[in-house]
Amino acid sequence: MHSLTRRQAIGGLSTAFLLPALPAHAAPAPSPQKIISVWYGLILDLVRHTPTYTPPVVSRALGYAGVAVHEATASGRDDLLTLAGQLNGLAAGPVREAGAYDEAMVLHAALAGVVARLFFNTGPTGQRALKAVTEKLGAAIEAPLAPEVARRSRAYGEAFAAHVLDWAAGDGGAEIVSLGFPEDHALTPGPAHWVPTNRIALQQKPLLPHWGANRTFAMPQGTSCRLPPPPAYSEDEGSEFYKQAVEVYEVSKTLTEDQRAVALFWSDDAMLSRTPPGHWMSIALDALAAEGADQARYADVVARLGVALADAFIGCWQGKYEYDLLRPVTYINRLIDPTWTPFLATPPFPEYPSGHSTQSGAAAEVLSALFGADHAFTDETPTIEGMAPRSFASFWAAADEAGISRLYGGIHYRAAIERGLDQGRCIAAHTNALKTRRT
Amino acid sequence: MRGLLLLALLAAPVAVRADEAPVVPIFAEETATAGIDHSYTGEWQYMVGGGAAAFDCDADGREDLFLAGGESPARLYHNDSAQGGALAFSERPSGLELDAVTGAYPLDIDSDGTMDLVLLRVGANSVMRGLGDCRFSAANEEWHFDGGDGWSTALAATWEKGAGWPTIAIGNYIDRNEEFSPWGSCTDNWLHRPGPAGGFAPPLALTPSYCPLSMLFTDWNGSGTPSLRVSNDREYYEGGEEQLWHVEPGQAPRLYTAEEGWKELKIWGMGIASYDLKGDGTPEYFLTSMADHKLQELAPGADDAPDYRDMALAAGVTAQRPFTGGDIRPSTGWHAQFADVNNDGFTDLFVAKGNVSEMPDFAMEDPNNLLLQRPDGTFMEAADKAGVASLLTSRGAALADFNLDGLPDLVVVNRHGPAQVWRNLGPGGHWLGLRPHQDGSNPDAVGGWIEVRTADRVQRRELTVGGGHVSGQAGWWHFGLGPAEVADVRVLWPDGTAGDWQTVPADGFYRLAEGRPPERRTFDRR
Repeated sequence: MHSLTRRQAIGGLSTAFLLPALPAHAAPAPSPQKIISVWYGLILDLVRHTPTYTPPVVSRALGYAGVAVHEATASGRDDLLTLAGQLNGLAAGPVREAGAYDEAMVLHAALAGVVARLFFNTGPTGQRALKAVTEKLGAAIEAPLAPEVARRSRAYGEAFAAHVLDWAAGDGGAEIVSLGFPEDHALTPGPAHWVPTNRIALQQKPLLPHWGANRTFAMPQGTSCRLPPPPAYSEDEGSEFYKQAVEVYEVSKTLTEDQRAVALFWSDDAMLSRTPPGHWMSIALDALAAEGADQARYADVVARLGVALADAFIGCWQGKYEYDLLRPVTYINRLIDPTWTPFLATPPFPEYPSGHSTQSGAAAEVLSALFGADHAFTDETPTIEGMAPRSFASFWAAADEAGISRLYGGIHYRAAIERGLDQGRCIAAHTNALKTRRT
Repeated sequence: MRGLLLLALLAAPVAVRADEAPVVPIFAEETATAGIDHSYTGEWQYMVGGGAAAFDCDADGREDLFLAGGESPARLYHNDSAQGGALAFSERPSGLELDAVTGAYPLDIDSDGTMDLVLLRVGANSVMRGLGDCRFSAANEEWHFDGGDGWSTALAATWEKGAGWPTIAIGNYIDRNEEFSPWGSCTDNWLHRPGPAGGFAPPLALTPSYCPLSMLFTDWNGSGTPSLRVSNDREYYEGGEEQLWHVEPGQAPRLYTAEEGWKELKIWGMGIASYDLKGDGTPEYFLTSMADHKLQELAPGADDAPDYRDMALAAGVTAQRPFTGGDIRPSTGWHAQFADVNNDGFTDLFVAKGNVSEMPDFAMEDPNNLLLQRPDGTFMEAADKAGVASLLTSRGAALADFNLDGLPDLVVVNRHGPAQVWRNLGPGGHWLGLRPHQDGSNPDAVGGWIEVRTADRVQRRELTVGGGHVSGQAGWWHFGLGPAEVADVRVLWPDGTAGDWQTVPADGFYRLAEGRPPERRTFDRR
């Protein structure tokens, strides 16, 4: 028997601890906030283990899951406001019939429905885990309930899941073809533009070239926080573009041990980690657990962060394919050093702006508004992959480090990082303007 | 008429110019008539596995066939094929009819000249002692072999220098009792080394273990001491990667490190095939996965470091999506094996494909690949033209010359579907079937090499036990010769000594006993 891992501690296997060796009638009923924690633990597991879940796709799932949690929660309380009418295309949800409800069961049924659909494509082990959590956590919730309350609560949660999924279906991101690398995409001609950077056949086309056209959540549209163009492409050694490329090259040759650790800590590779948006959700879940948050607080945080991350990837991807800029490895190999390789593997899509920077900026801005600008924390997310935790004085300190990690990794120029962080701040403002409480 | 045409083609040995496409052999599916009626069944615990073992269980020179059954009992089929005739098998009661078998590898564990079989299982693994006449008995207790209680999905074996018994590495998958969150629960792989008085010592844990689906002892750098290559399924590990272990006599196994030049690679590792494609004495490794597959070669200037780079895209073997059938979703690859199916002197590559279990992002109709090598080292897809592009959910496989006509035939194990058998009708060039033998322990010279020299080049083949996807073979080592009617052959024995070059006529089977001239083997007519 192996010891409890960090992944298990924050969610996934914690379901098992909800099922102690007690008779069902004697077991304590799990709280609504515990239900959220368990389901988000499973979501982050599924993110890591479902092949289509590249960072933009993850952000979309976190967006819809968060909204489902908030809306299901708000539907049972007078002090909370629905996001219907505030988020693009979200209509009012189903109305509760008269009678008592169990909020844990409502949440469980809503999340079970939404997660099963969002991760319909996970593999056999993911399906098995989904089934186990749905059935056994459901049974633990139901055990102390009057049958009519359990039925009513489950039915309402299921109706809410259907409502959110109907809304999600038309956003442009529901169908992912060829793991996100469409065979029929035509590359932009010209030396300034992205070309494949690895020898993987599937990735000779870039990731999700149309993601920037998806329906946004709180931001009016993908271009609402449009960035100015990157420094003009030039092969002139005196140009700003050349200087930024040389900076990537020179930094790579003098990486300190800490810079390497920073690059790896924020690497968050798709299909090998929780990805950048999953990383920030993990940070938020830790903060919620640390303060002993109640259901409403959980709902507010996971909804706002999910919305901001989803909008961040749409806005960022809009810029990536508007400018379609080549990666440092292409430029440096062509003009500076044909043998150079970056410290991190170069992601298979255009360079500008930096996706990690945009979404980290958005996440930091939202979490700062929720927990405070000086909220210090220790981030243990990548310890799953064997890395040491890192401590930060604030969310923005973490976001700044996540941004510069991409320069240490040799996969982004400075402009993409600094402007990406700015873009994230702009995108988060739309999320921070949402009203979730009456007071 | 077709038969006459094929005979005419077979009579004209294949000679390929560098600028010519390889000759595509025709494989006739004989599943319905070959006497094999078997499926690999079972749900979650059998989503991987489904191996085949091809080996001679009654010393008649023909490779018989063991098929894993998953939840169904495994079966042994005796090879009744007439030389050059249709493939014919008959089920044979053998003592191997265990359930929960994922795969199997033949290995003469006690060096008695009768092949034994290691069964990989969900539950306790079993070493089955060959008794002759295709009968087997459980030998875990007698040989002090701890079968464990894991979910075993890989095996590799070697004879360490000076050892009288083999060293067997067993790869174990996830903890099957983890229902809620099995990710990150990879259980320890085990290394079974010889005990002090015969049999095996208690196994050593190969920690860290990362859920392998294939393992191979291979002398990657020509040092004379094989290392253990492990291909791991990234679906389940946390912080894992592909692995290469030092396994040196008398020493605890230890991983090759980045400081030694090992390059991190994280794939859905499912199968390993090795072959010295460049003829330089060091093998290249083909690794199956989901979407892109890998073909690794030592990087230029690697300087005795295990610094591998991927040449799959350049060689045309990424095999990342179906090439026919209309399903364009990414592929899922399992067993891989090199064999010169058209006997042109350039080894070819077969890959078994099939969805894990209705994963909608991956092809459901995923044809198997038959990639024919061109003289320039690139490969050409020919599975559809050859007739082996099965769309069933394939797992393990074996390319073996079941009817002793010099052309490798094919058997493929399918999950929830019938095992399929194809007879290779050619055309093909000249060929050799070779089987080294040394007295004493390790009679099949595992860890040695065979070299075959024709006018213009030398083919080299490492004698390994392991790799593929839970599918092993022990029998004639096949070489295509192209137009050459004679060849020089020699064995580099596991102890490092090189046998003499000896000339043999093409188109025959030869036993290469150490210190003796090649002995041509003929077969009884059926």
